[in-house]
Amino acid sequence: MNNKLPAVLLLSVFVVATCGLIYELIAGTLASYLLGDSVTQFSTIIGVYLFSMGIGSWLSKYFEKNILSWFIQIEILVGIVGGISSTLLFLLFESIASFRVLLYGLVSLTGILVGLEIPLLMRILQNRFEFKDLVSKVFTFDYIGALLASLIFPLVLIPYLGLVKTAYLFGILNVSVALLVCVNFKKEIPAVNYLQSASIISILGLLLGFVYAEKITNFSESLSYNDTIIYSKSTSYQRIILTKRGKVLRLFLNGNLQFSSDDEYRYHEALVHPGLQALPQARKVLIMGGGDGLAVREILKYPNVEQITLVDLDKGMTSLFQKNEMLLSLNKKSLLSKKVKVVNADAFTWARQQKETFDFIVIDFPDPSNYSVGKLYTNSFYSIIKELLNPDGIMVVQSTSPFVAPKSFWTVNKTLESVGLHTVPYHNYVPSFGEWGYIMAMKKSFYKKPNSFISNLKFISKESMDQMLYFPKDMAKRETEVNKLNNQVLVKYFEDEWASVL
Amino acid sequence: MLRAGLICSGIALNACIRKIKPGSSPYSDIPAELKGPDASAGHVLRDKVSLPKPSYSRDVGVLVIGGGISGLSAARWLKKNGLENFELLELENQTGGNSKFGESKVSKYPLGAHYVTPANNENKDLIDFYQECNLITHFENDLPFYNEYSICFDPEERLLINGQWQEGLIPEFGIPAEDKDQIKRFLALMEELRYVRGNDGKYAFDIPLDHSSTDTTWRKLDNLSFSDYLKESRFNSPYLLWYLEYCCKDDYGQKLDKISAWAGLHYFAGRKGKAANAESSTVLTWPEGNGYLMQRLTARLEGHVRSSTLVYGIREDKSFMLVDVYDLKKKESYQIRAKKLIMATPQYVTRKLLKNFTRAEVDYEGFNYAPWLVANITLKGLAGAPGAPLSWDNVAYNTPSVGYVDANHQDITAEGGSKIITYYLPLCDQDTRIARLAAYARNHEQWLDIVVPELEYLHPNITDQIENVEFWVWGHGMISPAKGFVWGESRRNANQPLNHQIFFGHSDLSGVSIFEEAFYQGIKAAKQVLDSYGKV
Repeated sequence: MNNKLPAVLLLSVFVVATCGLIYELIAGTLASYLLGDSVTQFSTIIGVYLFSMGIGSWLSKYFEKNILSWFIQIEILVGIVGGISSTLLFLLFESIASFRVLLYGLVSLTGILVGLEIPLLMRILQNRFEFKDLVSKVFTFDYIGALLASLIFPLVLIPYLGLVKTAYLFGILNVSVALLVCVNFKKEIPAVNYLQSASIISILGLLLGFVYAEKITNFSESLSYNDTIIYSKSTSYQRIILTKRGKVLRLFLNGNLQFSSDDEYRYHEALVHPGLQALPQARKVLIMGGGDGLAVREILKYPNVEQITLVDLDKGMTSLFQKNEMLLSLNKKSLLSKKVKVVNADAFTWARQQKETFDFIVIDFPDPSNYSVGKLYTNSFYSIIKELLNPDGIMVVQSTSPFVAPKSFWTVNKTLESVGLHTVPYHNYVPSFGEWGYIMAMKKSFYKKPNSFISNLKFISKESMDQMLYFPKDMAKRETEVNKLNNQVLVKYFEDEWASVL
Repeated sequence: MLRAGLICSGIALNACIRKIKPGSSPYSDIPAELKGPDASAGHVLRDKVSLPKPSYSRDVGVLVIGGGISGLSAARWLKKNGLENFELLELENQTGGNSKFGESKVSKYPLGAHYVTPANNENKDLIDFYQECNLITHFENDLPFYNEYSICFDPEERLLINGQWQEGLIPEFGIPAEDKDQIKRFLALMEELRYVRGNDGKYAFDIPLDHSSTDTTWRKLDNLSFSDYLKESRFNSPYLLWYLEYCCKDDYGQKLDKISAWAGLHYFAGRKGKAANAESSTVLTWPEGNGYLMQRLTARLEGHVRSSTLVYGIREDKSFMLVDVYDLKKKESYQIRAKKLIMATPQYVTRKLLKNFTRAEVDYEGFNYAPWLVANITLKGLAGAPGAPLSWDNVAYNTPSVGYVDANHQDITAEGGSKIITYYLPLCDQDTRIARLAAYARNHEQWLDIVVPELEYLHPNITDQIENVEFWVWGHGMISPAKGFVWGESRRNANQPLNHQIFFGHSDLSGVSIFEEAFYQGIKAAKQVLDSYGKV
């Protein structure tokens, strides 16, 4: 017997052990990125993983003949499953309702396969060493591999390669072990050619995954965000990016922050309650934009509201907020409520064809940073929306920051007035955004401030409402033009005013 | 003629070489098709193909021949004034002439004319029509209020110059101060000419141009070429001259030296419409271009319009006109006995149709038509470029074309997915007849070789974004107001009715191919018809 061979097998132990721990770490990290609460995630992942390894070890007794060949097949399988696991989890994160089932399924599968490795290896080596030497050597290499993995994972792999590439790299190493064993034990393995080509093909496949990892997951911009990107997708209309740091989730559309989960309640309460609390009879509500369902969440706090229509251009947005667990817990499953009808349509076109009228209308579009969105802030658009508003109804428009962009803010106000609406501008402080502005507009000429607000609010009260309605000098009203389709002054003001800040 | 022959055989030879050696064109994988007004039907007339004898005959009060804007406008006027016994014949299967448009799953798009400006306030007939089709929604302080969905959305125009897109078409970015001064001087002069009046109290330059002053101070400018006029007036900035040439190409399909000074100035000084919510030069446009107005002109003519109908002979018989007609769909001929005829056809067609009549005083050779290529290009998307964002009209300094128009610009829907741009190329580098023959000779691959490199210059790597190209060749795209044409004899004489029976209305009889003139020409002819009923 060749003396080199035991050395090859011991090297395999080392690599296999490193890979095994890396998969475990990847799964734990991914789970805490995507699901939050890292202590729980890490301990459950480690528990499930170790338990699965136990199952694997127990199962190993059922492998009787051709143990070498089984070992090679298991190596290939571990390499593939481990290599693609993080890609799979990232890609399916948005669309799978029970993400946890997939996550723990993958963790268990990897655990079982890894659990099989060491017992099988020991049986391969049992005739080549004395038992005490065997145990000491195998476990020494096993634990050294684990140490190496636990050191390079946080220090080298995550900062330089990222989760997805790391997984592919160790998948490749795992399959390489299979190939190495194939080459060295040619004579002892039946159908060695088949196993050899299978491992070569798997290595090539994983290599492709490694090279195109960024394309597959679209994480190329991860460098431009401070927090970890946990989801990103380009729809036909925009690029949606979700990041997470600690417990805080942030949503970016085309690079612009839409909300931060730790203070979005300030924004959405301010957007909804000043208007809706003043309409105790409101039954029908329309929301344009706001595909995150957070404004809907606030509206659903009013039992008198019977029907909510949400019009958002992007199905990618609304379905993300209808399916993903983490986001569902943020919007309280608002978009799944029976009262809510989600329409994926272009707001302008939809509104133009609409005949129904509403008691309360929320207009929550992205900021007017380009001509395409700018159209939704024009007098032409507002005069259509006016037709959809019941005589006693109120509409509210998110109107950018009156502090950073006072001209833009007061342009929205002026444009609303130009179509014959009476306006009530107000503002509040949202830490992620800064001082933010909203404008209520109505056909009737007065707005009666609510005497009290519903109880389950974190920000708005009668007292804070007084402050919101008051505009200090640095945000006071300025003279501007009306924003029209053929002048789009708002886009220009907005660009100028924000350029000096960003 | 020799030159024409050489050029055309060169083009044909080039086409043959391509067939033999596929892959010689870098753009052969771009799906493209070549279309144009139904030249084959038109050439039945020119080539004197023998047609079946008329099998039956019927009577019509007034027969309008030609379904472009002037014909449709004439028909609308007849109907509006209570005349019901009339018919309009159109050679093609679709009315509209230069205002025809196309439609795909992405968008509607123009095939020719694509905008108007606010009507001059004295032009009551046009203002009435604009109100009829909701282009003018109401009046504020007696001024028309134009439909805000039709006023060109912002951003309106941009120019690629010195490596960057600037806002507006008048060169500014990186232009020397002297040139800027000269441009300012020219524009100030135009502002003055816009409201200047002749010794008869009429505007020197008006729309319809027949309403312009007869004052010779101004009319004599028609005998000067625009380029000579500019030279005499010490306008020599290359940037200004480029801009003016662009304007002439855009409106007349010709270069500065082929256009009369009067017509050149009319482009700038003719438009003076005041509106409650628009400037006199404000663009009014639609995804389908002037197809929008054309459809509204046609709207109330149901039952009166016959398309795919070729007129191939007109004779006089006592008090009737006998018109031989060939139905291109049913492939049968019949005869129409009409009391009155309105020839809403371009004069190169009128000449063929009226070959049995003597009009010795009419010089048809005096009518020059500019050939055009229009390409509607469907793109997967259009990447941003340095400088001003995508606008309605996008032009590059010193390129052969007059740029492209974003057909989706007036969409209120959010951007995303495919879009269509309409690219306009006046074929004015050669004598018009040669250019026309050459244009007819080219196949779609040869057009791609001409158009795509320019698009690549405007937008590097745009080729990968092209989904499909539809070329439309206009052999006789528009009348060119050459030196001496607008106020010359050929135009005046060609406008004269024949024997109180045949009346003429077409934009080439104005000398300027714009919607307003075609619209006016139609009404003018229809009014003459209505008047003549009293006289005969």
